[in-house]
Amino acid sequence: MTRKFPDPIGADEFLRQLRRYQKGSVSRRHFLGVTGLGLATAVMASAVPGLRGRAWAQGKIGDRVSVATWPNYFNPDNYAKFTEMTGAEVQVSVFGSNEEMLAKLQAGGTGWDVFVPTNYTITTYVDLDLIQPLDLSRIPNFVESAYEARFIEPGSVNGQVYAVPKNWGTTGFVVNRDKLKMPLDTWKAFWDVTRAEASGRVMVHDYQLTTIGNALKYFGYSFNSVDPKELAEAEKLLIESKPHLFAINSDYQPSMRSTDAWMSIAWTGDGLQLNRDMPEIDYVLGKEGGELWSDFYAIPKEAPHLDAAYAFIDFLLDPEVNAREVEAHGYPVPDTRTTALLPAEMTSNPIMYPAKELLDPLEFGAAVTLTDPLRAEIMARFKAA
Amino acid sequence: MRLYAAFIYLFLYAPIALIVLFSFNAGRHAASFECCSTAWYPRTFQNTFLIEALTNSLIVAGTVATLATVMGTMAALALQRVRGPVRVAFDVLTYIAIIIPGIVIGIATLVALVAAFDALNPLIAALWPGGPEGAPRLNLGYGSVIAAHTLFTMALVIVIVRARIQGMDQSLIEASADLYATPWGTFRQVTFPQILPAVLAGFLLSFTFSFDDFIIAFFVAGSKTTLPIYIFSSIRRGITPETNVIATVVLGFSLTLLIAAQVLMRRRARGAGGGGAAP
Amino acid sequence: MADGTAIERRQSRVTAMLLLPTTLWFLLLLVMPLAVVLVFSFGERAPAGGYEAAFTLEQYANLPARLTAFTNTLTLAPLGTALCVIIAYPLAYYLAVRAGARVKLMLLVLVIVPFWTSFLIRTYAWIYILGGRGIPRLLDMVGIEDLRLINTPTAVLIGIVYGYLPLMVFPIYVSLEKLDKRLLEASDDLGATPLRTFLQVTLPLSMPGLVTGSLLVFILLMGEYLIPALLGGGKVFFVGNALVDLFLQSRNWPFGSAVAIALVVIMLVAIAAYLALVGRERTRSDASLI
Repeated sequence: MTRKFPDPIGADEFLRQLRRYQKGSVSRRHFLGVTGLGLATAVMASAVPGLRGRAWAQGKIGDRVSVATWPNYFNPDNYAKFTEMTGAEVQVSVFGSNEEMLAKLQAGGTGWDVFVPTNYTITTYVDLDLIQPLDLSRIPNFVESAYEARFIEPGSVNGQVYAVPKNWGTTGFVVNRDKLKMPLDTWKAFWDVTRAEASGRVMVHDYQLTTIGNALKYFGYSFNSVDPKELAEAEKLLIESKPHLFAINSDYQPSMRSTDAWMSIAWTGDGLQLNRDMPEIDYVLGKEGGELWSDFYAIPKEAPHLDAAYAFIDFLLDPEVNAREVEAHGYPVPDTRTTALLPAEMTSNPIMYPAKELLDPLEFGAAVTLTDPLRAEIMARFKAA
Repeated sequence: MRLYAAFIYLFLYAPIALIVLFSFNAGRHAASFECCSTAWYPRTFQNTFLIEALTNSLIVAGTVATLATVMGTMAALALQRVRGPVRVAFDVLTYIAIIIPGIVIGIATLVALVAAFDALNPLIAALWPGGPEGAPRLNLGYGSVIAAHTLFTMALVIVIVRARIQGMDQSLIEASADLYATPWGTFRQVTFPQILPAVLAGFLLSFTFSFDDFIIAFFVAGSKTTLPIYIFSSIRRGITPETNVIATVVLGFSLTLLIAAQVLMRRRARGAGGGGAAP
Repeated sequence: MADGTAIERRQSRVTAMLLLPTTLWFLLLLVMPLAVVLVFSFGERAPAGGYEAAFTLEQYANLPARLTAFTNTLTLAPLGTALCVIIAYPLAYYLAVRAGARVKLMLLVLVIVPFWTSFLIRTYAWIYILGGRGIPRLLDMVGIEDLRLINTPTAVLIGIVYGYLPLMVFPIYVSLEKLDKRLLEASDDLGATPLRTFLQVTLPLSMPGLVTGSLLVFILLMGEYLIPALLGGGKVFFVGNALVDLFLQSRNWPFGSAVAIALVVIMLVAIAAYLALVGRERTRSDASLI
């Protein structure tokens, strides 16, 4: 599947400039000028007082907004701020996989106002009529030109916008270097060490895409493969590894923190949060590749508090607010206005912005993996094994 | 022997003590303990969603216990007079309702209701006088949780009350009939006071079951959050001392109920000398 | 004569009315849902998940794919029940026979109180205790290193015993309480050893409670989800976990339905076998103990 990314300055060029800026080889002015961020920064500077002028800030949006998202993926202070400004309380539910979110929406009556689907799932939500088109005039903080195009594109289906970007990131693994000192920079090593030195101390996600995908990487297959033969090999690896796992759970932070687990498949932000508090924990991207993803804010078809949903998304996309999100959870944003507000130690952090040669082999998840019955069944069999 | 008992009580109470202790955590993460602060208590009580979950659970458990006790007692009384295939069918259904695991009840209710709603909702929308836009939609919620909980608890009440009826002194009822009491009079004056303890036990058990059930509600609660569902998702969201505060409060709440029940029973026992049925 | 049939007719009308709500409930919320599950179990998974009408035995043919979940459940549920009996019995015996009258009530209440705390929270407390910062750390201090408890069958068994012990103590206590103490004295007077008294008098007479308690615990364990989910870390998988997975993750409703039907059938067979084993007479009398 080839995709075209209409790029104003080019994502790679942007990242290159960003890195040059971070290394200090170009000035801030040069960086802002080249990337067009200068204007954005100027706009942004007035943005926060601007929030107060929004209709929703006057408190007519009801008393709540219900959000379905992922673990360790928001800044509680921001949510408290939203409540303070609008009077609407934020109810958060946390999920372990896109499949779980989809299953809940399919069964109906979730009561969610906002949910956070991953790039490759959006077409399925549209096909199943579970998501509603967005009225972008109600999300003025979403300024398309400020975003890297490849991270916006999955939010649109047939020319209609259904979702706006939240964060992007990678799927790698975290490893506690006090416990595991051998070189580990590939998925091959990840699974080999799992069945040897790290036996009993490794976690994988309760999520078919990443767990099966990174098992496929062991053999050098595509992260997105639905080929029965390749999947059979991945299943064999998973089942062999199962006795050596500590747990199958998408919320691996508590176990990594307590050092019950020494290694786990992980997402960018969890890697950063763990590394920030426990420097002995590294975040590693497998050299073979793996997943590059972007998450979105979207509104389910039957959202009971539509006004609150729009207000909430608009609030979070304000660059100031968004920057505080990133500072808390450590997932990069595709919004250049927000990135410009981040402290240098974040924008130069290789966990958040990995080197190009590590990013290049990564793949976006493919829509087919979400509905493929074989991948679903292999995951279920692996868990039940 | 006494040492053994002490050990078991330690086993039973150490985790509870830990929960209570951690509710006085001063830190943000529940994983490590910093002594000591009550800061989490007011914060927990200001949590709208937690209070709402608690209220939902109380409403659901209260309704379930009432429905199950009334319906179960009615059925238990009626079943005394029923013989033959109807009786057998009822016995079988009662035991099936008790034996089938909660998770299967949850799944079956979910699947059946979703199928039923998918069939009924377009029908309602088509027939609705104001046009399909304003038509109400059937959805999972209070109703489905109450319905599913009542199934199991009702069966439980039937078994408990029937056991009590079987142990009852039948000659009293006959005597009452001989003295020309109406059937209703006999029920009120003779039968009911005798089965009352069983009815009360059934009510309490039903309430407790419904209040504490996670798995059935997990499947059929739709957008409604009951307390166990709230606790489960707060465990998943990353544990804060708030979860421990909830547990401590629930424990305190149950203890209060238990003590209140004890006091009430004692008072009733004292008042029972006066005779007459309790209201 | 005519009067009599009028009363009878009225009586049967009252009986029917009394049974009406229960009947409705049983039909709409037990028979119908189970029928739907049965029908679904012969269907196919819709392309994006859910159910699609069909008639196929494929789902049942696929049951061996969940064999481990079934064997886990069928070993850990009886084992957990047995552990509960072994641990609960001495306590129930102490409460019924040995404990002083004054402390007895309080001790009994103390057995119920945990049962009144959220089951979820009580189970979750064990995540601390069995996790790396709990017992393993204490053991670490005395030189036993890197012991892992959480996410093992042992952890799940501990959770089971903790969760269901009160349910087992009670029925056993009730039947021991009813036991005529003079029988024990008589046995003693006749020169029986304490062990023999226990095996020939106490144990048989407490069987009804023991049977009720173990049935209760066994039934609950067969459908257990929370304990393995919290203390098993997705590694100790029960049928209950497989079911949640099939309905709330892989969205395979037909296969999930087949697994549910299989679970119910296995349970009914197991219970029937158990009851046949302990004898019908005893079980009839213990309906009063539930």
